[in-house]
Amino acid sequence: MDQQTSNSAAAQNRTTVERKSDRELVVTRTFDAPPPIVFRAWSQPDLFRRWWVPKGAGISLISCDLDVRTGGKYRLEFGAGEDTMAFYGKYLDVVPNERIVWTNDEGEEGAVTTVTFEDRGGKTLLTFHELYPSTEALEEAMAGSAAGLPTQLDQLDELLSSTEA
Amino acid sequence: MTLTGMKKHVSVLELARLVTTEKVGRVRTCRLGERGLEAEAEWIEAHRKLFEARFDALDKVIFDIKQEEEDGSANE
Repeated sequence: MDQQTSNSAAAQNRTTVERKSDRELVVTRTFDAPPPIVFRAWSQPDLFRRWWVPKGAGISLISCDLDVRTGGKYRLEFGAGEDTMAFYGKYLDVVPNERIVWTNDEGEEGAVTTVTFEDRGGKTLLTFHELYPSTEALEEAMAGSAAGLPTQLDQLDELLSSTEA
Repeated sequence: MTLTGMKKHVSVLELARLVTTEKVGRVRTCRLGERGLEAEAEWIEAHRKLFEARFDALDKVIFDIKQEEEDGSANE
């Protein structure tokens, strides 16, 4: 078998995250394969479950049901210690090798997620776009995992002293 | 800090939505705004790390699929 060189390729590919507007969050990355291969890794449950949950996070993917076609549903169940958590929703629009659009229905004001796969000379530019129904919904999603107020207060102190001049 | 200097600082923070202020009589009360820049930057960085870890793993899956396809066509 050939020597595995995927690690050096991975190091060159940068993942960018940008808050595009008050309601939108965009993640991009380029993959070294044409869209049909990247789409397969995203739409086949046995492949999808191999990469969606980062290893070492103490979280495991218990079940993974994906019916990736327009109108199909998905349900992911995660386990962390004793707790389990389910994420589910519906595929609003699926165009094979081009895009997948789905809802996130576990919360009240869930985002609509659109993933697009664009051919860039045999590579794939992947764009993961989340559109929240309101600014508040996006900020709530952020607050849910934010480290909290103390750092915010430190930052305020810094800002106050730096404007002293 | 002079009162004028202080007012200038507060108006900058208010513009950045880091604080909100309310004036009752001669007293202006400041509150931390909804938008904490540091918290947002931290969250974005945490999000980037999550996706980077995911996509590094996805790179490996893609590598395996390409490998399989090459092996498959070589056997034909």
